[in-house]
Amino acid sequence: MRLDDPCIKKLEPPKLNVFERTYLPQILDGLAVTGRHILGVLRGESITIEYPEQPHRPSPNYRGVHRLNKDEQGRVKCVACMLCATACPVHCIDIIGATAPENWSDREKYPESFVIDELRCIFCGMCEEACPVDAVELTSFYDLTGLSREEMIFDKTKLLSVYDLTKEAEPSRMGNLTTF
Amino acid sequence: MTTIYIDGDEFTLENGEHINAIQAAARFGIEIPYYCWHPALSVVANCRMCEVEVGSRDPKTGEIRMLPKLVPACQTPAKDQTVLVTKSPKVLEHRRMIMELLLLNHPLDCPVCDQAGECGLQDFSYDHGRAEHRFVETRNVNPRKDVSDQIQLNSDRCIMCTRCVRFTREITRTGELQVMRRGEHAEIGVFPDHELDNPLAGNVVDICPVGALLDKDFLHKQRVWFLSKHNSICTGCSTGCNITVEENKGAAWRHKPRYNPHVNDYWICDEGRRGYKVANDPELLDATYVLEDGDHRATPIDQAIAAVSRNLALIAREGGKIAAIVSPFLTVEEAYLLCKYIKTISPSSVLALGPVPRSGEDATWLPDKSQGRTGDVSFVVCRPFTIRAEKCPNRRGVEEIVRHFQGEVIDYASIAARIGGGEFQAAYVTSNAPEPAFDESTAATIRRGVSFLVVQDTRVTPLANQADVVLAGGTYAEKAGCYVNHDGRLQFAEAALPPREGVLPDLDLFAILLERGAGPIRSSEVLAELAAEIDVFAVAAGGRLPEFGATIGGAEPNGTAPKNGSVYEQLYQDPWAGARR
Repeated sequence: MRLDDPCIKKLEPPKLNVFERTYLPQILDGLAVTGRHILGVLRGESITIEYPEQPHRPSPNYRGVHRLNKDEQGRVKCVACMLCATACPVHCIDIIGATAPENWSDREKYPESFVIDELRCIFCGMCEEACPVDAVELTSFYDLTGLSREEMIFDKTKLLSVYDLTKEAEPSRMGNLTTF
Repeated sequence: MTTIYIDGDEFTLENGEHINAIQAAARFGIEIPYYCWHPALSVVANCRMCEVEVGSRDPKTGEIRMLPKLVPACQTPAKDQTVLVTKSPKVLEHRRMIMELLLLNHPLDCPVCDQAGECGLQDFSYDHGRAEHRFVETRNVNPRKDVSDQIQLNSDRCIMCTRCVRFTREITRTGELQVMRRGEHAEIGVFPDHELDNPLAGNVVDICPVGALLDKDFLHKQRVWFLSKHNSICTGCSTGCNITVEENKGAAWRHKPRYNPHVNDYWICDEGRRGYKVANDPELLDATYVLEDGDHRATPIDQAIAAVSRNLALIAREGGKIAAIVSPFLTVEEAYLLCKYIKTISPSSVLALGPVPRSGEDATWLPDKSQGRTGDVSFVVCRPFTIRAEKCPNRRGVEEIVRHFQGEVIDYASIAARIGGGEFQAAYVTSNAPEPAFDESTAATIRRGVSFLVVQDTRVTPLANQADVVLAGGTYAEKAGCYVNHDGRLQFAEAALPPREGVLPDLDLFAILLERGAGPIRSSEVLAELAAEIDVFAVAAGGRLPEFGATIGGAEPNGTAPKNGSVYEQLYQDPWAGARR
C-alpha cells in the first residue's frame, strides 16, 4: 500500500473543547450507565442469568461447535473438496476423500473420514465461509466439555449427530443446496 | 540472427531455430496463453486461445504491415522481422470470448475436480476470462466413463484440445483415443474393447489441461495444493526419467514427469508413475536388527553400527577377507562411501556389483515427423523414449565407482560363487531393491560361506533373515543423491520424504561407519569429494550439477540432446502446472 494512495481516507480524532478536556462529562456518562443498571436491578431487570438452570441463548451468528449437515436423503452433504481444511488457519480439519458410492448419482466424491479437532479449533468460522455446499456449519453449542483429549476430536458420526441435535432449533441457513 | 518485435519491444533470437511465437515470447518472459499446443505434438490450433496480432516489418523502410485477423501464435513461426502484439484490446477481448466459449458447457465442479489447483481453465479464466456466465441454456452433461482401468474420462470437463488424441497417435502410435461425433456433441472416446492400455498411457492425464482425464490411482485422494513437489529421478529402470515426487503428510502420493530433453523428454511410463508405492509400503524395514542368541532383536542404530564396525575390524585384523556387494540401487555417493569404508578397513577386501534385475526387453518409442501426425509438424522436435529392461537406476555409476577402487568390476554371480566357496570371512551386502534380490538358496549359500554377514536393505528378505546385523536403508524417496543412467548421464535426485522412524538414510550409515565426524552428511559434499578423486565424475566438480544432469566421462551423449542455447534447453512446463505467479 502506498501512503499517497488517493483511496486512503484519513480521519482525525475530534477536537475536544475546554469542558470536555476536564473529562468530567465522560466520567458522568459512565456513572449514568452504572446508575441505570443499579436502578434496573432494583426494578427487577437483571442483566445476568442464572446459568446453568437458565440456558443462555447466544445470538444467531454465534460460532460454536461444528456440525456436518445432511441432505434430504440423510446422506452427508460434504463432497470432500477440502476447502475448509485449506481455509482453516489452525489446520484442525482432516478429511479423507473417496469416490462416492455408485448409487449416489449426483456426486462424485464424499468424505470417508471427516475429523475436526475441537481443541485446536479457534472457532473463526472460516470453514463455514469456504464450504461450497454449506455442509459444515457452526452451531450455537457453546458448553463443550470432555473428559479426555480424544473425546474432543470429533469424527464424522459425531459431527453428523450434532446436526441431528440442532437441526430443529437451527435450520441450515442456506437451505438444502446439494449441487454447485 | 532473428529479430522479432513483441508488444513494441525488439528481441533477438541468437541461433535462428525454427520455433513458434509462443516459444519465442516465452523466452523473453511474455506469456501467450494456450491449451492445445504442446511442444512434442503437431500443431492443430484448435483451442484458439493463443491468437495474437501478427504482422511483419519491412527492414528497409521500417513499415509494419499487420494481418487483418488474429492468428494463432502456436502456428506462427518466429521468423525474422515478425511483429507480435499480445496485449492489445483486440487480443484481450478475443481471449475473454474464447474463455467464455470454452466454459459454456464446463461444469462448475472445481471443488470436487482433481485438476483444481493445476488447471488451465482455472488459471486462464482468472487471468483472461470474465466473472459472469451469460449462457442461460442447460449445459451439456456427459456422464463420466472409463477409457481404461487406470484412467477416467469426465467428458463434460473436456475442452476438445485433442492433446490426448494426438499423444496416442503421434507419440505411442497406438491411436486408442479419438474424437467422436461433431460440433457441440464432440467427445473423446475409445472403441469398444480397445481401451487405452499402452505403457505410456498415463501421460494423457499429465497433458490434459483440464480435469477431463484423471488418474484413478490418485483420484479423490489429495488436493494438489497440499502436495509438496520434490525433483527426483525414477529408480524403476536405467533410463532414469526425471520426475517430481509429490508428498503430503509423510507419504508420497504420485509421480509426475519432469522435462529433460536428454533423457525422457516430457514423458514417464506407467510403471514409473506407480513407483511411488515403494516409498509408502507398510512392509518396509522399521528398525535395525542384530542377531543375539539366534534371534533378531531391534537394536538402536548406533549399537548396531558399532557391532558392524567392531566385527569387521576384528576380522580384518585377523587377516580375514571381506566381500562387499554394492547394490545398483545405491546412489553414486553411497557407493563411493561404502567402497571407501570397505577398502579402508581391509585393502584386500573385494568389491562386487550387486544383482542387476532385468525383465523383458528394452521398449523404445520413436516418434517421427510423418507417422500419425495430423497437423503442422515443423516446430516438433522428435526424441525417443525408452523403457529399459534393466530395472535398476545406477548400474553404471556403481560400476565406475567399483572400477576406481579396484580396477575391475566383479559381477554378482561370480562373487556369490566365491562367497559360497568359503573365500571370505565376512560379507557386507547392500540391496534396497523394491523386489527381493536374493532368494532362499542364494541366501543360504552366502550365509554358509561367511562367519559375519551384514545386510543393508529396505525390506525383509530371505538374506536379511540370515544376517548377523540387518541395517535398514532408505527408499529412493528418503535419500538424496545422484544416479548414472543407461546413457551415462549423472542426475541428482532430491529426498522427498524424511527417513522412516528409527531408520537412517544409507549415506548417513556409511558416514558413521567411516567416522566422518558429527552432524548429518550432505550428498553434495560427498559428490564434490568423489568428483575431485575420480576423473570419470569430473563433471560434478564442486558437488553441483546442471538442471538436466551431465554426461560422465567416457559416455557418449545419446544424440537427441538439444543444441546449446536452444529453447529446448530450458525447462518446459505447462503454464498451469507450476505455481501461480
